[in-house]
Amino acid sequence: MIKSVLIANRGEIAIRIIKTAKRLGIKTYVLLTKKEPNSLYVQEADEICDITETTSAIPEFLDIENILSVAVKNKIEAIHPGYGFLAESPYFAQRCKSEGITFIGPSPEVIYNMGNKTIARQIAIKHKIPLLQGSKQNVKSVKEALALAENIGYPVIIKAAAGGGGKGMRIVREKSQMSKMYNLARSESEKAFNDSAVFIERYIDNPKHIEFQILADSHGNCIHLGERECSIQRKHQKLLEEAPSVALNDELREKMGRCAIELAKAVGYENAGTVEFLLDGDNNYYFMEMNTRIQVEHPVTELVTGIDLVEQQFKIANGEKLNYNQENIKLKGAAIEFRVNAEDVQTNFSPNIGIVENIVMPKGENVRVDSGFTDKAVISPDFDSMIAKIIVYGKTREEAIKNSIEALNQVRIKGIKSTVPFFKAVLRNKHFINGDFTTAFLDKQMKKMYHQEADEDMIAAFLIYKTHMEEIEIMNSKDLDFGKGRELPPWQLTNRIKSL
Amino acid sequence: MQKSKKNKYHLVGTDKEYKIYENKQGEVIINGKKIEVSITPKDGFLELNHNGKTYFAEIVEKDQNKYVVLINGNTYKFSVETPISYKRKKILGMSLGRSSKYVVEAPMPGNVIEIMVEKDSEIKAGDTLLVLEAMKMQNEIISEVNGVVKKISCSTNSYVNKDDVLVEIEKS
Repeated sequence: MIKSVLIANRGEIAIRIIKTAKRLGIKTYVLLTKKEPNSLYVQEADEICDITETTSAIPEFLDIENILSVAVKNKIEAIHPGYGFLAESPYFAQRCKSEGITFIGPSPEVIYNMGNKTIARQIAIKHKIPLLQGSKQNVKSVKEALALAENIGYPVIIKAAAGGGGKGMRIVREKSQMSKMYNLARSESEKAFNDSAVFIERYIDNPKHIEFQILADSHGNCIHLGERECSIQRKHQKLLEEAPSVALNDELREKMGRCAIELAKAVGYENAGTVEFLLDGDNNYYFMEMNTRIQVEHPVTELVTGIDLVEQQFKIANGEKLNYNQENIKLKGAAIEFRVNAEDVQTNFSPNIGIVENIVMPKGENVRVDSGFTDKAVISPDFDSMIAKIIVYGKTREEAIKNSIEALNQVRIKGIKSTVPFFKAVLRNKHFINGDFTTAFLDKQMKKMYHQEADEDMIAAFLIYKTHMEEIEIMNSKDLDFGKGRELPPWQLTNRIKSL
Repeated sequence: MQKSKKNKYHLVGTDKEYKIYENKQGEVIINGKKIEVSITPKDGFLELNHNGKTYFAEIVEKDQNKYVVLINGNTYKFSVETPISYKRKKILGMSLGRSSKYVVEAPMPGNVIEIMVEKDSEIKAGDTLLVLEAMKMQNEIISEVNGVVKKISCSTNSYVNKDDVLVEIEKS
């Protein structure tokens, strides 16, 4: 087995990888940066590689040469890239290879082919994978975009060829918007991926986003671990994911799963990967893209299959054969993941930067929390806004929803606002409960983006009233009780301390 | 002799108002109804109990008579008005904090990528005012009100800090 791994990532995913690596007896190394000197992931690792003194214009987790020099210097055998950052950089995977370091992921060629959406489309076409009508090549001008859209029919979507995560994506509903949207998509792609290439495809207004987890070893074995339902999104950013999806019956699951495996085999995929599909109202599915990394939402699959995906990643990278056949994979129960982001739902999900003064996460046998933060953690604008993932299990979907409501009620976060009130509203939404939702859920099926308990408004007024009375009392009695050591109720003390 | 209504105040929120006082027994009466709430500090939070329900709270901001609190992670803003100040504000038609000027502040530090509006442009609630790039995302800053743009206080490709004023709108 691999003896040591450098985790080229931070936050919850670094901690998640450390947990499995430790269990497998793999020594873990992490990077200590000056942006997050007291981070939790640093405390959890076996070895810390201090790169705080590094002077480079490239952000720490994107600095390929520096990361490699750390790995070489410490004689680390493997690198796990997590998600984001360099996870889908074919160049990084290639550089690992040439330094003799095991990259935990597929080959550089596969990352390149699947990472470039235009090439991925061409491979899918060749292997007769269902695909939305669209451009075969990158689109080079507004004029070309207009001609293509005319042929496909509006609405169309412009996507970054190098894209992912909703960046560089624009929907165009009519001719007049094309030039503006084309330029916006290009500039965003350029910024996010250093590549302004975009392509166009037919846009389905209300699809479901269904993705399949696959595992492929280096001996030609490939299986799927069922689907994840990721339709609850905002601006193409996933907020909540489930496994399994209510939209799939066994027959459709098997058909889509086979399709995912076919694609993985066609590109010579190796390691854990995800094939994303759009599913329309008539159960037609279309290949969208393949993610060649561990996904943020991987825990829901782990909970319903009982398989540790990170463990499988290490074993596959180690050249081992898969322990499972497709027949062994049974989906049991239901799991929901909530991405607790530092965002203010009441002001249009704007990022809420600040210090997490205090945080209480739910506990219980049906609850898993993957968190990268503890108290006093700074939510920095340098990184994304995710604080933690709460993953809840139930024997049935109904039970998972019920357990989720209980779990989210236990969450307490002080110092910043989070997406928890949003999830509380989702869990009570009848369309969500019935499973009749699509990616348009937030726009069309949610009237209010956050849940308020009965009387919350009045409770707020009460608290403010009481606090104000205390303030006045303090003002009025300042001279009188000076030095008397008057006893204060503790909550009043808290208020006073806070007001200092 | 003790007055029957003590500490009478109007709490004026964004969309709700409450009349609150204490009766002779020191009980809190909100809009004519006796309300019992216990306040206990727990794990660094304030826990409020009312009708068997638990709410967790945090006092976020205090500026003279204006307060911002979080209850269960939701923001509530109220200004505390005495009967006199309440009446005066009503008469002056200031409708308590609901002034006609709407100021859009940067919700986070970032770069202004594109400004979609001009001075004097008429806008509707939901219209995109500008695009602010932060946290590796292009965020559309959206107007919550209908009105006319009075002033643009930022420029394209400039860096703004959190809470910097971006646009001022005269509400219609």
